[in-house]
Amino acid sequence: MIQCKTSKAIGGMGHSLKRKEDARFIQGKGNYVDDVKLPGMLYMDIVRSPYAYAKIKNINIEEAMKVPGVVAVVSGRDLEKYNLHWMPTLMSDTQMVLPTDTVMYQSQEVAAVIATTKYAARDGREAVIVEYEPMKPVIDPFKSLDPSAPVLRTDKEGKKDNHIWNWKVGDKEKTDALFETADVVVKEQMHIPRIHVASIETCGCVADYDKVNNHLTMYMTTQAPHAIRTVIALVAGHVGLTEEKVRVIAPDIGGGFGGKVPVYPGYVIAIAVSFLVGKPVKWIEDRSENLQADSFARDYHITAEMAGTKDGKILGTRFKILADHGYTDASANPSKFPTGMFSIATGSYDYGTTYMECDAVYTNKPPGGVAYRCSFRVTEAVHAIERITDRFCLEVGKDPADLRMQNFIKKEDFPWKSPTGWIYDSGDYHAGLQKAMDALNYNDLRREQAEKRAKGELMGIGISTFTEIVGAGPSKDFDILGIKMFDSAEIRVHPTGKAIARFGTKSQGQGHETTYAQIIAEELGIPAENIAIEEGDTDTAPYGLGTYASRSTPTAGAAAAIAARKLRDKARKIAAYLLEVSEDDLEWEPGKFFVKGAPEKAKTIQELVFAAYTNHPQGMEAGFEATHYYDPPNLTFPSGAYICVVDIDRETCEIKVRRFVAIDDCGNIINPMIVQGQVHGGLTQGIAPAMYEELIYDESGNILNGTFMDYLVPTAVESPNWETGHTVTPSPHHPIGAKGVGESPTVGAPPAIANAIVDALTPFGITHLDIPITPFKIFKALKEKGVFAN
Amino acid sequence: MNATISKTFQVAHPLSDVWANITNPEKIVVCVPGAALTEMVDADNFKGEVELKFGPVKARYGGTISFIERNADSHTMKMKGAGTDVKGKGGADMILDANMVEKDGGTEVSVTMDVTVQGMLAQFGSRLVTDATTHVFDQFVSNFKNQLDGKEVKGSLSAGAMMGSMIKGMFGGK
Repeated sequence: MIQCKTSKAIGGMGHSLKRKEDARFIQGKGNYVDDVKLPGMLYMDIVRSPYAYAKIKNINIEEAMKVPGVVAVVSGRDLEKYNLHWMPTLMSDTQMVLPTDTVMYQSQEVAAVIATTKYAARDGREAVIVEYEPMKPVIDPFKSLDPSAPVLRTDKEGKKDNHIWNWKVGDKEKTDALFETADVVVKEQMHIPRIHVASIETCGCVADYDKVNNHLTMYMTTQAPHAIRTVIALVAGHVGLTEEKVRVIAPDIGGGFGGKVPVYPGYVIAIAVSFLVGKPVKWIEDRSENLQADSFARDYHITAEMAGTKDGKILGTRFKILADHGYTDASANPSKFPTGMFSIATGSYDYGTTYMECDAVYTNKPPGGVAYRCSFRVTEAVHAIERITDRFCLEVGKDPADLRMQNFIKKEDFPWKSPTGWIYDSGDYHAGLQKAMDALNYNDLRREQAEKRAKGELMGIGISTFTEIVGAGPSKDFDILGIKMFDSAEIRVHPTGKAIARFGTKSQGQGHETTYAQIIAEELGIPAENIAIEEGDTDTAPYGLGTYASRSTPTAGAAAAIAARKLRDKARKIAAYLLEVSEDDLEWEPGKFFVKGAPEKAKTIQELVFAAYTNHPQGMEAGFEATHYYDPPNLTFPSGAYICVVDIDRETCEIKVRRFVAIDDCGNIINPMIVQGQVHGGLTQGIAPAMYEELIYDESGNILNGTFMDYLVPTAVESPNWETGHTVTPSPHHPIGAKGVGESPTVGAPPAIANAIVDALTPFGITHLDIPITPFKIFKALKEKGVFAN
Repeated sequence: MNATISKTFQVAHPLSDVWANITNPEKIVVCVPGAALTEMVDADNFKGEVELKFGPVKARYGGTISFIERNADSHTMKMKGAGTDVKGKGGADMILDANMVEKDGGTEVSVTMDVTVQGMLAQFGSRLVTDATTHVFDQFVSNFKNQLDGKEVKGSLSAGAMMGSMIKGMFGGK
């Protein structure tokens, strides 16, 4: 049970407060970008390339301009006149806004049609005739570095291959030596497939340039409005749109998952057109455009190796990665981390050495990759370590639970320094796994499995005991385009004791309007229901880097707590003045200060706030406001122990997830109901790549599943009954001991499922299957092993 | 998106007649359902158009067709077609290999058609391309036979029938 320090009426941390935002969402009163309608607004639609790699010979707009309502067709040549045809990516690569000569992937933007209605824009789009000269594309990343492969980025002077960057970390010499001498070495080649966030709301914007005042208001689907404003000012400052003349508003967002961090060409074109015609321009992607053109996630080809002793002690790991970034590196990582936080791949285990290396390459695919509900490549890292750990178990003949227990970092060894240099803040991995095992009677399941195997039935049990790394991040190492990754909170309490708090983050469904209010309620004793939360408007909210990578609670949540504590300090001074005692004689309990030993002599927070406006001590600044920009001293390291039980039909190879137990440790919990909701959603997005989702391209670069008919997003039908629970190991360095939870389940679930399926198939000599593991993939693997007759 | 179809069929006409028809652009092109010959560039190269309908997706391809090989001694021929959607929505390439031998007083024709589709058709019709190509091919063979028999050649593609066969194909009931 979670102990609450505040009453239910105050609703601080630990209370399962109903989400304040849901009242409008469940009544259809949300305000999304597509709900924004402005007088005189024009609509934009985008002509996209049918080819993965082609020269543009001609764009004929004659027929399109005849379509009633069409007012303009914009091409790369038009943008080139204003030097707006290229833009930087978050990883300091470059990306076309609209091409002038060459298209680099199927569905790339080629031209934009502007019309008075969205239907006219779509008709105009169909009437634009583009002549292409198709070229042979580079689709397979393994062939991308072949000397015979065409150099894709001819726009980069002197570029002679398709290599983007090389990254390495760890001790190569020591690790290589270990692998030469270790008793047991295992190795698997794995692909973490290219997938898409597929949020319910696609991307879009309304760019509203006001010529008279030389001011741009940009309503857009973004997870990071402040950073976007800065980027717009950097890109368009030379045409007069300096930062004070730009206002970015992120209204309600229907799911982001990292897909709404990048700047897509559509946003920039809409701004350019609005700037040129002086009218608001709306652009909203359709589902297929979103799936086919927006940033993908994952797509890491990993060779994972583990070395250890015959009795199951892990001694070291080695990871070699090939990262397929599409035609430009449009990842959304902190600048110094081209592979994001992949170096967390040493996992939850105590061993001495690792070496990791990654090469990134260009191909003729959409650019990316974004951190899909994942703190920058942690999903890839966790999959690699958890799969190779199971492979090691198989090799040494140990139960995966026993071997994990044997190798876990011990509770008393925290803070613990990983071989790649991270300082894990806290954890109790043994307790988490034990709790998960107890929840489903692990040993009974293993007995049942043995009996079923004897009868030829396929049952598997898979474990994933992962460590996440979230809350980016300390300014020493973490920035995006040079801007440090702090985050902020500003609390303003009105004379009657009700408050508004504003943040640099942006909720996309996480429930910030509720959880931030609870943090402030916890610290100030003002009821959470009396605290309004506002985010997403750069004109009103303090600067922040936004919401992704499970960073809101670790950064902005901490900022809220510290800003509230500054206000509590002020309240203490006012209380001392009003009660005519020394500050040291006062004691705090949520909602009031009272004199030690005389609890009847007390002032409520509401009385103290009122005094701040009506009767504050001479010399004290009036009002009751505080702001804090929180620069975290370290990242936080949530962990989890997930166990999945599957049954596989021997004839049809259909996979049934019988049970899935998820024990999360996200430190102190702000709202248990919201955490549970986050975990349910995250687990469903974890089963997605494990069993269903992958963006598939043919050798010509055609996407073969660019609609929801073919790209299989799991729904309630596919979701098993999620059994959730938690252990609580507070973060020692975080003001409220919280760690962040949004991404843990997405990160932790896929290897639990993959391990369970592979476990079911080990009697046939199968040691690994790449996700998504479909019945057909199992059928093929079993057939290869001679299980099915031809 | 790629589909390869090989078929062997028998016609009750002498090899010389069959060879003459199959190597004559004006005769062979009209046998391709939905196709029309628009321009003869030279003896080996000509231009044409093909219109295909896949349910709601209609594509009109314009392009060039070339004889790469016409060997009257071995009765083998290779034809290459490269087309792009006239609205710039994609393209299709085709390589057709054929050879003919005398058999049972008639001619046995073996044809391999290799079709690569790019763009919208490949995206939306990826699961249907093989079935659709098979259907087009079957209609082509039937037209070719009719032409030799002096019967009417059905120029346009019977889209309804094609959708029917594709839907059957999707459920495995060919």
